[in-house]
Order: sequence, then structure tokens, then C-alpha cells
Amino acid sequence: MAGLRGVNKYFWVGLFLLPSLIGLMVFTISPILSSLWYSLHDWNLLSPPEWIGIGNYTELFNDPHFWAALRTTAVIISLYLPSAFLLGLALALFLNTRVRGMVLVRTATFLPVVASWVVVSLIWKWLFNPQYGLINIALGAVGIEGPAWLFQPESAIVALVITSIWKDVGYIALIYLGGLQAISPTYYEAAQIDGANRWQLLRRITLPLLSPTMFFIVITLLINYFQVFEQIYLMPMRDSAADRQIEVIVTEVVKNAFMYNRMGYASALSWVLFGIIFAITFLQFRLQKRWVYDEGV
Amino acid sequence: MKHRFAKRIALLGVASALLSASLVGTIAAQEETTLRYFTFSAAPDYLEELDNIIAGFEEANPGVTIEVETAPFSDYFTLLQADVVSGDAPDVFELNYENFVTYAANDTLMNIDDLVTGDAPYYPRALEAFQYEGEQLALPETFSTVLLYYNADLFDQAGITYPTTEWTWDDVRTASEAIGAMGDDVYGLYSPVQFYEFYKKAAQNGECQFFNAEMTESTINSPACVETVELMVSFLDDGLMPTAAELSGVSDSELFLSGNLGMLVTGIWMFGAFQEATFNWDIQIEPAINQNAHHFFANGVAVSATTDAPEAAARWAEYLTASETAATIRVEAGWELPALDQPEYFAEYLALTPPTNRAAVFTALESPVTPPVIERQTEMQDTINALLTQVVDGELTAQEALDQAKTELDALIQ
Amino acid sequence: MATDTSRSLVSSRRRSTASNVHMFSPGALARALLVYAAMAILVAMMVLPFLWMLSTSLKPQAYILDTTPDLVPNPLSLESYAQLGERIDLARVFFNSTFVAVVGTVGQVIISAMAAFAFARMHWRGRNVVFTLYLATMMIPAVVLVIPQFILVKSLGWVNTYPALIVPGLFSAFGTFLLRQALLSVPADFEEAALVDGANPFTIFWRITLPLVQPALATLVIFSFMGWWNAYLFPLFVARQENVMTLPVALAALQGGPRALTEWNMVMAGGVVAIVPILIVYLLAQRWFVAGVVGSGIKG
Repeated sequence: MAGLRGVNKYFWVGLFLLPSLIGLMVFTISPILSSLWYSLHDWNLLSPPEWIGIGNYTELFNDPHFWAALRTTAVIISLYLPSAFLLGLALALFLNTRVRGMVLVRTATFLPVVASWVVVSLIWKWLFNPQYGLINIALGAVGIEGPAWLFQPESAIVALVITSIWKDVGYIALIYLGGLQAISPTYYEAAQIDGANRWQLLRRITLPLLSPTMFFIVITLLINYFQVFEQIYLMPMRDSAADRQIEVIVTEVVKNAFMYNRMGYASALSWVLFGIIFAITFLQFRLQKRWVYDEGV
Repeated sequence: MKHRFAKRIALLGVASALLSASLVGTIAAQEETTLRYFTFSAAPDYLEELDNIIAGFEEANPGVTIEVETAPFSDYFTLLQADVVSGDAPDVFELNYENFVTYAANDTLMNIDDLVTGDAPYYPRALEAFQYEGEQLALPETFSTVLLYYNADLFDQAGITYPTTEWTWDDVRTASEAIGAMGDDVYGLYSPVQFYEFYKKAAQNGECQFFNAEMTESTINSPACVETVELMVSFLDDGLMPTAAELSGVSDSELFLSGNLGMLVTGIWMFGAFQEATFNWDIQIEPAINQNAHHFFANGVAVSATTDAPEAAARWAEYLTASETAATIRVEAGWELPALDQPEYFAEYLALTPPTNRAAVFTALESPVTPPVIERQTEMQDTINALLTQVVDGELTAQEALDQAKTELDALIQ
Repeated sequence: MATDTSRSLVSSRRRSTASNVHMFSPGALARALLVYAAMAILVAMMVLPFLWMLSTSLKPQAYILDTTPDLVPNPLSLESYAQLGERIDLARVFFNSTFVAVVGTVGQVIISAMAAFAFARMHWRGRNVVFTLYLATMMIPAVVLVIPQFILVKSLGWVNTYPALIVPGLFSAFGTFLLRQALLSVPADFEEAALVDGANPFTIFWRITLPLVQPALATLVIFSFMGWWNAYLFPLFVARQENVMTLPVALAALQGGPRALTEWNMVMAGGVVAIVPILIVYLLAQRWFVAGVVGSGIKG
């Protein structure tokens, strides 16, 4: 990767990087720094901000809503991540079989990915309807009385995790598929000559060679799901216990910023969230040496 | 370098002063003014009506142009705040009562006492609602209230008499039992258990106050308030009212429209949608606990404190809220009711049926209640709503929930 | 047997020459049936909800309270689409959305590709620090940035214009990240050779590098287009007037708030209308799409 290190280095680096970097500085990084500044103020947006130092941060650590939101976010991630991770892998292995018509299946699994959450939530609200929704009808057919899915906090979290997995699994599988296709067939051929069975091939070749992809998926899903918001906002039935009680970090940010007129506090929440995500990402990069296969480059 | 820069700025200042002076001259001559008006109530259904009102105003005020911006209610106040923050608030904008207090307290509204003619026939109560610390900071635009709707056919089938102005919630209970007995999927009553219903029923109780008079402490866990919540929840506990799960996503209005609900407590804004009903229905003022009390929801129109054209802006606010043209257009289109004490404007409105008893809308105005307002209003509402839900679900008793509400509300008013 | 099943795990260009002779053994036939059953179930699970959306959009209003699931509504009605056309200036809104999405996608992809080139192909001091900065911008919730971004756009005088809808979204850390990963997995041999031949870096970038990562570019095109097309929050702030309003903002305005009854057939019609263009872009780009993730999805 020696690259183009020779020629008029800084002129060309500037030419390629600056359009993006300047734009990002102006339209994203400067607002991010503004939010850091706001987080040190008490600001209702209508009157001038009032400096309170780390007041928002100390309030935050004593705020039961923050801890409840953090807990719920953690619960959602722990339900979502392992299932999405494994189902995505299973789906990718399946999509990777060479069968006529698989392209159609691949397109079908990507349909939920392109749909907006507004549309997806409407569809699944109907499917999860306790009285006439298909899910409880199906459960009833095998003698199980389904819960009032999107009305109660616990069942609503399960329901929205199921919906999230349904929506994302095509995307995750697609990334896995990329990783699978990048594995050189020579590995398998060599192992087959040694008499390895199907399970051994998966265990000894596919999974280790797929581990960089797995790492990528874990990192991006973690970043995304710490910021889980749309499905929480859209899925619970209006005015139900689920609607009034489920809180995650970003719903708290939105409420404080736009409904409670507390922009400073919302900014502080965002920065704490940023800290958490950054720390976990950092930790993941540290831990990757233990399980992520490295060709020894 | 610095000096030259400062000089340039100074020159620029002089130039722009000259320029604006000459501009003022032209404005005085031609009065070319464009006003930005921001509204949530017009889109998406009443844009044409608004255009007609604007046409009337622009004809009466040559040189003044109204530029409309709309947003859905759910996003409106976020956008309005963003405008205020950016230093470029709309010249004229709509506010509901709760948000009016917030905006007034933050000095974002212009005192329009001296700018309006003062002879507009507003409802005194409505005009008062938009005063803050003795100043008129907005004009009442429209009002609405909440009443008791009933399915007359179900009452007939149950062989019971229709609600009267004398009813209390005990009469509602008796009627609900009779109607609910007519079938598993037939319910007597729907009256939501949430903040808005709570403060109104608290007023019907008369003794329940959310805060003490000095606003230093919450009194929401007083025995009268506990009683009020227990009354609200009792209809659910006794199976007279469908639970959220029993409704299973069907809204209360849809349930009423389906003909399986005896009585519904909801706003007069449902008149239009209920024209589709295939049964006879009517309205009555709300039952009392110890006294009558009705919601008084008002939208107002305010002039921004930072507008460049206060006179023109105030003239538009007044025209929009009080002119005969605007009032007539509103009433004809069913676009809420102007907050004007002018019975002749409403003659046509009152003649429309159903509901036959439309006059109840104005009877309700004799016992108006506005919500308790604190600076951290939405947080208070969310807190109370979440706790009421827990009472509904049987996780907390009314007493426990209100004790907790008191603690949280005390923290919010600190 | 072991050989056979294990081979099905591997999909590679080499296997395309393998014969399908196993299909005729009884075991293989049973397995094929199983695979097709699984495929059918998968397709049903993914597609049926959308068919329901389509069918709801084709119902007249009065039938919405009907809760029995029937996929083909009877009577079939285009009323909701007609109403949608009445309430929204569909031509205008579609033009706005398409214009913003197309210009935005092209701009975002080019700018991201250029930055990715600088990160993946050039060596300079501070590269890792700047790249970490890019990654960090993805870790702050976008909602908290909307107000300062709005103030900025307003001070530029862009409110209710196309630049407000397009410019702030052109600079994508995600896109840069995606394309950088793709570039890192493609050898730089051709580029080095071209450099030796005296080509300038821009020519190399345009003529050699971009074609090399064409699949990854297609991937980004789809994600980018999806992002622009579905964008709601910021357009809501900066596009208040009908002449610049985009589809999601216009559709949201239809849901009349807590006081109105929801017209489900119309909401679903809106959903159908909103999803069709993305599907078209997906189908157009999908030929390169799977291959695109090959290059971008590995090595976090």
C-alpha cells in the first residue's frame, strides 16, 4: 500500500481530501462542537444559554430516566445483536448455496432494508395486533395465547427487536455474503483432501476467515443500536404503557431537545452516549486480536 | 489593518443607515411589506380557506403580502423554536395555550395591546387566556372543547334516557352498565385516562389542585385528587370501558363510529368525522363530579418580538382572528370556531345536525378550565401520563402513583 | 457426501463449471426440495407484509375498519391514490425528491470516493487522527445536531432552497468509510504502474481507481439514494414551502395529528409511492451490489 506517496504530496492530498473534510468540518463537526458547548449550558432555546459548567452531566447521573434508558438500550442490544448476528450468518450461508432462483430470494430479503421505518412499523403494528394480527392468529392455531405485543413494555421490546431483525437481516447477510465470497476456494479444497467434514470446514475455515467481517458487523451494529430510535418512537401503540414507559437514550435526547426545551441537557446526554459508544468501539478494537483472524499482514 | 477594517465597517454602517433611511421613505410611500405567517392549523385541509382569508386581508391592506409556512402539529413547535433560536422568527405565528405561556415567559412575543384596535368582539375569557403579566401578548384565534358524545340508538335499545345537563358520573356508570350488558363487544363509555382528562376531572371534583396557590409545591396527592383518579380508573376496572388491549389499535373514535360504544368523551373537532356514522348520535355537556367543568382549548396568534413590521403584523393577527371574513370562512369550512362573542356568526353552525344539541358547545364555555401550566410543561404531562398508565395496569394504586407524581412534580418546579 | 455438502458452502467462480449431476440422486432431490421450501418461506416472510401494504392501499376508506386479512381487496379501489394526488402536489414533490436524491447521491459518492482515495492510497501525517475524527462523527445522534445545522443554513440564507436540502448532507463519513474499506482490499498495482507512466493522480483516480471499486460505488449509490429519499428531519426544518417540499415531509403532513382519524389506505398508498423509486434504483444497481459488498465488508 505504498500508494502515491511520491508526487507533490500535500497538494494532491489536499485536492482529494479537502472537499470532504471542509464540508464535514462546516456542516457536521462544527455542529458537534456546538453541541458540546450547549451541553455546558442551561438552554431552553428561547432565551440565551446560561453557563452551568458540568451541571447537566451531574444531573444526568442522578436522573432515573437516564439509567432506565441506558438499561433498556442495553437490553435491546443484548436481544438484538446475537440474534441478528447469527440469523444474518445463517441467511448468508443459505443465500450462498448455488440454487436456481436464489437471486429472487436475495432481492426479497433486501426489500425490508430499503423500506422506511414508517412503513415497516405500520405493517408490523398490524401483524402484532393482539386480536386480528397474523402473529397471534398463528400462535392461537398452535394453542398459545399471544401477548398484547405492542401495548406492554416487555412484550413490545421483544416485538420491536423481532421487527428490527426482520428489517436488518437482509443487510447483514449481504455483508456476510461479501466476506464468504472473498474466501479463497483453495482452503476448502485442501481441507477436503484431508477428509474434513462439513462441520469442520465451517468451524476451521469459514468462521475464522469470516471473522474480520464479523468484527465489522459487530462494530457497525453496536454504533447503530446504541442510537436505536425510530422503531422505539414508531412501534408502540399510542398512549399504551409501552408507548409511555419504554425509553432509550436517543428518545431521551429527542424529548429533552424538542419537547422539554432542554437543549443543554439533550446535548449532555448525546455526549455521554458518544463516550459510551467510543469506549466500546475502542474496547472492541483492543479485543479483536483475541478472536479476529489475521493473515499475519 | 485593523483600523482599515474598522473604517470599512463604519462606512458600511453609514451607508446602510442612509440606505435604510431611504428605504423607510419608500415603505412609507408604497408600504411594501412581506409578513411570514407560520401555522399548524391550516395544513393540510384548510390551505384554501387560509388563502381566501389572506386575499381578503391583502385587499384591505395594499402593500402587505402574507407568506404562509405550514408544519404538522407534531413538529410545529420544534420548528418554531428553531426559528426563534436562529434569530429569524416568523412575523406572525400560531400558539396553543400551553406553549403561549412558555413563549410569553421568554420574551419572544410582542405586546400588541396598543397595536390592535381593541373593539374586536373576543370572548373575554379567551382574551384573558392570552395575557401574560398584564400584557396582551397574543390574540385568541379559535377555541374548542370536549363534550360527552352518545349513541342514541344504543340508549334506545337499552331502554334508558339520554344524558342531561344534570348528569353526574354516577349516572354515566348506571347507563354504561345497561349498555355494556347488551353484548361482549359493546362498551358503555370511553373516557381516556391521561393528563388532560385528569386536570379537567380534577376541576369537576373542585377540591383537587395539582399545585398550591403559590406554585411552590405540588398538592397532586391530596385525597380529592386520589378520589378523582380512582373515579377515572373505576370505569376500566369495572369493565365498562375497553382497555387499550381490548381496543387493540382501534382508536376510541373508530370504536364509536363502529356503533359499539355508548358514550365517548372527546372534542368537538370530531363532528366532521362522525357525520359518517350510521346511527343517531348527539352530544351533551360533560357530567359533573361536584360541579361542571369543561376544557377550554384555545389557539392564539402572536406577533414576534423581533418583527420588522409590528403594525402590519398586528393588523394581520387581528384580521385573522376577529374579522367577519375570517370568522365566516372558518365557520363555513368547519375549521374550528373563532373565539368571538358574536352569536350571529354561529347561527349557521348551530343549525347543522347532527349533533342536534350543538348549543352544548357554548354551554360548556360557561365552565372553562385551562390546564395547570409550569415551565417544564411537557415533562409534567409525560410524568403524569406514565404514572396514570401504571394505575390503569394495576401496577400502582392511585395513592402510590400520585405520591410519586408529587415527588416528581416538586422536582420539576424547583 | 461430505464433499458434496461442503461444496455447497462454497460459492466461487470456479464452481460455476461444476455439473449439476448430483441433482438426480434421491438424497440430493430431497435436499433440493428442502432448499426450495426454505426459499419459499423466506420470500413469503419478507414479501407478504409488503403485499398487505399494497392491498390496504387499494381499499376504499370504509373498509379499513375491517380487520380480516384479505390480500386482494374487494372491491378494488384507487381512491387512496387519487386522494393522495389531490392533497399533495405529487408532481412537484416527486420532482423535488428526485432532484435532491439524484444530485445528493452523485455529489456524496464523488466526494466520499475522493476522500477515500486520500485515506487509502496516500500517506500523510495525521491520517489516522483525521480518520478517527470521521468515524467519531457517526457516534453522535443526528437529532442533537439539527438545531446548529439549521442555524448555519439559515445564516447562509438557504432556507426553502435546494442547497439547504442538499449541501449539508454531501459530506458523508459513512460513505468515506465504506469506500476506504473497498480500496484497501484492492491491490494498488495498476495505479502504481500508471503513476510510473506519468499519469497525474486525478487521472489515475478517475480512470483506474473508480472502475476498480465500481461494485462498492454501486453499494454506496443505493445506501446514499435511500438516505436522501427517506430523509425527514432536516428537510422538515429547511423545506417549509411547497415548492421545495420533499415526499417524506409532504406525507407526514397528511397525518393530521392526534385529533384526526388516520386514513390507513392513504398512509399505505404513501408508503407504496415512497418505496417504488428506491426499488427501481436497487434493481438497477443490484447487478453490482453483491459484488460491491465483497470489497467493502471485510476488515473493520
